[in-house]
Amino acid sequence: MANITIYDGTSRFFPGKTPFGFYDYDYEFQTDADKVVTFCARRLGYPIENIELQDINFYAAFEEAVTTYGNEIYAYKVRQDYLSLEGTPTTSTTLNTDVIQPNFASIVRMSHQYGEEAGVGGTTTWYTGSLSLSVSVQDYDLNTWAQASASLDSTDRIEVKRVFYEPPPAITRYFDPYAGSGLGMENLMDQFGFGNMSPAINFLMMPINYDLQKIQAIELNDQVRKSQYTFELVNNRLRVFPIPTEAGGKLRFEYIKESERNSINAPGTSGGVSNVSNVPYKNPTYKEINSIGRQWIFEYTLALCKEVLGYVRGKYGTVPIPGAEVTLNHADLITAATAEKNLLIERLRGYLEETSREKLLERRSLEADYKQKELNLVPQPIFIG
Amino acid sequence: MALYGEARDISLFRHINRELMHDIISQQVVYHKYNLVETKINIYGEASTGRIFQEPTLLYSLIERGDESSPAFDEVGTVAQNLTFRFLRDDLTDIQLVCDQGDIIQWKDLYYEVDNVISNQLFVGKNPDYPNKDSTGTNPLETGLENFGTSLSVICNAHYVPADKVGIDKQRL
Repeated sequence: MANITIYDGTSRFFPGKTPFGFYDYDYEFQTDADKVVTFCARRLGYPIENIELQDINFYAAFEEAVTTYGNEIYAYKVRQDYLSLEGTPTTSTTLNTDVIQPNFASIVRMSHQYGEEAGVGGTTTWYTGSLSLSVSVQDYDLNTWAQASASLDSTDRIEVKRVFYEPPPAITRYFDPYAGSGLGMENLMDQFGFGNMSPAINFLMMPINYDLQKIQAIELNDQVRKSQYTFELVNNRLRVFPIPTEAGGKLRFEYIKESERNSINAPGTSGGVSNVSNVPYKNPTYKEINSIGRQWIFEYTLALCKEVLGYVRGKYGTVPIPGAEVTLNHADLITAATAEKNLLIERLRGYLEETSREKLLERRSLEADYKQKELNLVPQPIFIG
Repeated sequence: MALYGEARDISLFRHINRELMHDIISQQVVYHKYNLVETKINIYGEASTGRIFQEPTLLYSLIERGDESSPAFDEVGTVAQNLTFRFLRDDLTDIQLVCDQGDIIQWKDLYYEVDNVISNQLFVGKNPDYPNKDSTGTNPLETGLENFGTSLSVICNAHYVPADKVGIDKQRL
């Protein structure tokens, strides 16, 4: 006749009695464990009525409560600081006792994509390439060029970011009599290569807007009266205007490899924090938990014990007694336990939320406002110098 | 394969039953076990010199009480009353007491003779005393049936008998 003992009013904790042993060697955990058993048993009705649990059930609940408390605290910290934590090494011992210094690493990392498209940053390399222009050939297939010259995988493509196919800057023709600028008297100097410089003769200082207007006039003249340098780029097929008339010209361009842009591995973060599961937080150190935290843990332990007791008493719905059967209070226990657990979790999360950086700064700002209001009530003496 | 009603569950029931019967209800009776060996009978099978009982035993019991009925006109001074005494089988097993017809149960200093004994409250329909093993100690269909189910109770139906007919002297238990 198997006789499974139940709690008899005494318990004696020693390491190995909890399922995971996270805190078994913490002296204060050891001391509190038996007190928690007494607390929970009495809150459940012992010694007026039996508690169909063993000491190990209480210890398991106690360990779970401490772990849950730690999880809530550190999950909150992860949520609060994740932008600063992402990408940091996971190999550090623990962040439990560290004060997190906020940083811009993730923000900058997230911004790389915009700089990348604009050509002013990012982590995708811009390569340079060139092809030789041929006489009377207007269309050039850059895909073909890439396969031959860009060391691409067979499934990869390039995306051309910039084509250097432009007319000479208008400033170089500032003194060009054919530029349509109406300033042909300096043609000779331009031919000698002195176009951009003062020839050390008479010089009339003109306002800068005068120069700008002349340059715009040259550009507009080219656009209206000439076949302007331009190109079309569709699906990496480049069509240049005007049609080249001389051989030997080089057309240069910049491109990226699509495979590199599609890469999702942020450089420099390999082996670092990649998600909330590998942020290096560990279970809390019980002896460092303050009385506020411990009281929460005790109450959560009680709720867990209540839940377990409910499951024990409710396994069969009714319990046979000689000639009849009785229904125990398992339903009430489980309902109460569930409600209490939820309430405790909500209370803790609310408490944590109240101490978030945002809330603290908000409160500090309010305090400053109120202080200022109060100080304004102080009569201000008239300064007489 | 038997899954429910394993010895661990039965142990829980035992705890709950004992808490209920011993600590909460705490209804007690004195059980006088009829001593067949010591009782002398005549050639007609009658205990002509009176019945002899074993040492009385104090037991917890759930008692289902019938009302006393009016005395018959020719039996002035007597009453009739039927009671049902429900015992936790484990309590009886602990003291190796087997209830039987003819035993006397003393309650409120009144005596009730057991008419019949019912032992039919099987949890999950199984009695671990009958695991249906063959001569080699195996059950070809199922193993471990001796660990499942329980015969939970022993229920005694009894009727009132006057003290002078029982012949039991009150003594210290």
